[in-house]
Amino acid sequence: MALIQHRFDALRTHLATLETGEHNGRITVSPKNTEEVAALTRYASEQKLTIEILGAGTKREMGHAADADILLYMTKLAGVVAHSWQDLTATVSAGTPWVTMQRALAQHHQYVALDPLWPETATVGGIIATNDSGALRLKYGSLRDLIIGMTIVLADGTIAKSGGKVVKNVAGYDLHKLMTGAFGTLGVITEVNFRLHPLPAETRIWTATSSAAEPLGDLMMMVLDSQLSTQAMQLRAHINGYALDVQLATLPEVLTLQGERLNDLAQHASSKTNGTFEVSQTSDPKVFTAREDLFTEAGVVIKATMLPSSIALLSSEAVQLGGTAVTQATGIMFARFNEDTAAAAISALQASIRATGDGSLTVLRSAHTAGSPWGDIAADPLTREIKRQFDPHHILNPGRFLGGI
Amino acid sequence: MLNSAVLNELRAALGPDGPSLPSGLITATNQLQTYECDGLTNMRALPSAVVLPRTAEQVQAIVRICDQHRIPFVARGAGTGLSGGALPAQGGIVISFARMNRILEIDIPNQRVVVEPGVVNAHVTDAVAAHGYFYAPDPSSQTVCTIGGNVAENAGGAHCLKYGFTTTHVLAMDVVLPNGELVTFGSSAPDAPGYDLTGVFVGSEGTLGVATKITLRIVKRPETVQVLLAAFDSTTAAAQSVSDIIAAGMLPAALEMMDRLSARASEAAVHPNYPVCEALLLVELDGPEAEVKAQMAEATDLCRKNGAWEVRLAQTAQERGLIWKGRKAAFAAMGRISPNYIVQDGVIPRTALPEVLTAMSRMAAEVQLRIANVFHAGDGNLHPMVLYDQAIPGQEEIALDLSYRILYLCVDHGGSITGEHGVGKEKQQAMGYMFSEPDLDTMQLVRRAFDPHNLANPDKLFPRTRLCGEKPGPYTPHPLETAGVAEFF
Ligand SMILES: Cc1cc2nc3c(=O)[nH]c(=O)nc-3n(C[C@H](O)[C@H](O)[C@H](O)COP(=O)(O)OP(=O)(O)OC[C@H]3O[C@@H](n4cnc5c(N)ncnc54)[C@H](O)[C@@H]3O)c2cc1C
Repeated sequence: MALIQHRFDALRTHLATLETGEHNGRITVSPKNTEEVAALTRYASEQKLTIEILGAGTKREMGHAADADILLYMTKLAGVVAHSWQDLTATVSAGTPWVTMQRALAQHHQYVALDPLWPETATVGGIIATNDSGALRLKYGSLRDLIIGMTIVLADGTIAKSGGKVVKNVAGYDLHKLMTGAFGTLGVITEVNFRLHPLPAETRIWTATSSAAEPLGDLMMMVLDSQLSTQAMQLRAHINGYALDVQLATLPEVLTLQGERLNDLAQHASSKTNGTFEVSQTSDPKVFTAREDLFTEAGVVIKATMLPSSIALLSSEAVQLGGTAVTQATGIMFARFNEDTAAAAISALQASIRATGDGSLTVLRSAHTAGSPWGDIAADPLTREIKRQFDPHHILNPGRFLGGI
Repeated sequence: MLNSAVLNELRAALGPDGPSLPSGLITATNQLQTYECDGLTNMRALPSAVVLPRTAEQVQAIVRICDQHRIPFVARGAGTGLSGGALPAQGGIVISFARMNRILEIDIPNQRVVVEPGVVNAHVTDAVAAHGYFYAPDPSSQTVCTIGGNVAENAGGAHCLKYGFTTTHVLAMDVVLPNGELVTFGSSAPDAPGYDLTGVFVGSEGTLGVATKITLRIVKRPETVQVLLAAFDSTTAAAQSVSDIIAAGMLPAALEMMDRLSARASEAAVHPNYPVCEALLLVELDGPEAEVKAQMAEATDLCRKNGAWEVRLAQTAQERGLIWKGRKAAFAAMGRISPNYIVQDGVIPRTALPEVLTAMSRMAAEVQLRIANVFHAGDGNLHPMVLYDQAIPGQEEIALDLSYRILYLCVDHGGSITGEHGVGKEKQQAMGYMFSEPDLDTMQLVRRAFDPHNLANPDKLFPRTRLCGEKPGPYTPHPLETAGVAEFF
């Protein structure tokens, strides 16, 4: 305690202008701009103090817990810095809640075409650090395709920019791609440049339900192979049955035509497999928050990735293993298992993913950390060397990432 | 020159030759000359050897030898790069991928294709076209350039406005690191845990290692494609139409613009029957038929509203092809109106287009040179071609200077020094204009992690004095120079 107090006093003296506090024996700092973040990391680096970077904390359970001296709150770095709506680009501070940003951009009928978890609270920076993405990824790609530039603060206080404010740009290394999904272990993201998309003129959702996964999997593959204007698609798997949600986005008059075409495909899929199912239009736009709903009940939540052609098989397997799953047509599954059966389910699912070819499994939430959240994935020498170059003293989110990075 | 012991090691790494297996090692000066430059022909350097491996293991063995003897190497695809990316380091080795050109796997249901790096871009589409798919990134050089070169440059093309650049279409790859280790980045399934090394490698211009296998994403062909050609009295009016089309919420498959000079040159070269005008706009929309029809009507109205006096909708696939042929021939056609030219590759925010074009004409007039312009107008990527005559003493220098000042102009307007051709050797110094010292230092951290001995395509991409291991400030020779392995020129 005395040590903490001593460090705390020293930090306050040294960084007098920074807003600081204390939380559970840790020093908290809430910088208001990039320069303040840099002042903090420079100081921490010199003093060998470790830092946990926090947005809204919605995904703090993901990855290993970072046990750090300082809690760096990013939420004061908030707001849309610039919206060049005619260029379809925007610059946003990393602590901005996702919806706050989207509301601002919607004034010009634009948005960042990504549907992350908990958009009401989750911050831009946290979403990027964990490389989150939802069902919209099918049409618009992941953050790698939507981020065009970034400002980052390194562990030693260096402020660096990469990319720029134009969509097309191949000058220099794309540091922003390295930061995306790095769980804050390489630098602190303070500002982000996004490419934007116009909000679609109209979207409609159809849902097909069946007692078996396979016919819906067939339909999903047919839709992927079709020329329909699909913007999002997911397969929901539950002990009570399966549902395939297809969201189309185009002009209203075209949607009606495409709805008919989707019905034809559904007829075809159901006749082929004799696993009949129903297709109907849904008015509930909430169906695509199904993966978020997985987190509302207790249990272990995992993320598994796979090729689209394996989705139906692995979905039914998840159910057989006692789980509930939501899988985006890009091949990203979120599944929840009861705590007592989770360990067995995870190793069975891991084996099946391996058997189907390509993919991975990580644990997003686990009450009793049984094993590593990163599963059996280790860090290769190059990954370790990148970390060493960027953060030689391991002060940023220490231990959070795979391989204990 | 490499000594005979090293040459023997390279020969052994490449395996035995045979009657049907021509030698994979080139050392004869006249043959080496083929490799002394890429598409940027005014910069040349003779390599000491060229190797043509057939397998990843051979690549690995070669790179190990380079690592061991600290010999710089550069990968080479088709050599169409326009920034000197494949220019050898003096005395270094060229690893040509001409013999690693197999398509290894096609998975239509999962929309993936696995290729060796020497596969020609257009051959990927050829291989999947029968299934109704295509490989979206389409550089104008697509009938010759390779996927390896595309990956290194993060190549773009007219259709990247809608479909994304190379980076959007690369899922995974095998890479031989500069220390000779063979590693896999990414995976066929999304979100391989770990840092996004695929994302970092794409566009790194051969400076982080050598790709030996690449997994690509392919895209379903759209139901309909329509192309519209609109003639304007000014580039400003055409640029306004571009902004209006985007503002209306459309995402065209392509939005290309040509000015009077470049349209004239294309007309002379391939006779696409272009109207004679100050600015030509080419709008391609694709997607569901009903959507394309409705949007094309709107785009036509917007062009007319901005003063287009001729708006022509291609009626047949042949007419469409001809319109595109003229556009794709633009660079090559320049020879018809000027003895020499320099192509640049700046990017600006779309909205700055009129202002930048005006400034550019003024700058050209000041030094009494002409600039022809073709651009990917939809994403603000300009390809100004500075026309000059090498035979006139001093004119080349003036033209070069103008072309760099145009890049600075782009940066001043919030843009970039390169949209698709890469920095390479050509734009090293301009990097220092676009990025600050800390930005470049941070990029060097990546470089150092991948290539601590600075062997993979050295002395490219970063401003001259900012080589790995060098301190900023006045010029000091790099260790490679002092060791006599490499020389700057
Ligand atoms: C007429 C013409 C039109 C063009 N139009 C366009 C265009 O529209 N869009 C566009 O983006 N570009 C365009 N280019 C530029 C050029 O075609 C592209 O940069 C292309 O990607 C280069 O491919 P390449 O196979 O010729 O590569 P090369 O020129 O051989 O090499 C380019 C770079 O890639 C590296 N490299 C090659 N293979 C590998 C590998 N396996 N692993 C690691 N690094 C590797 C090289 O070291 C070098 O740095 C054009 C060029 C010409 C001549």
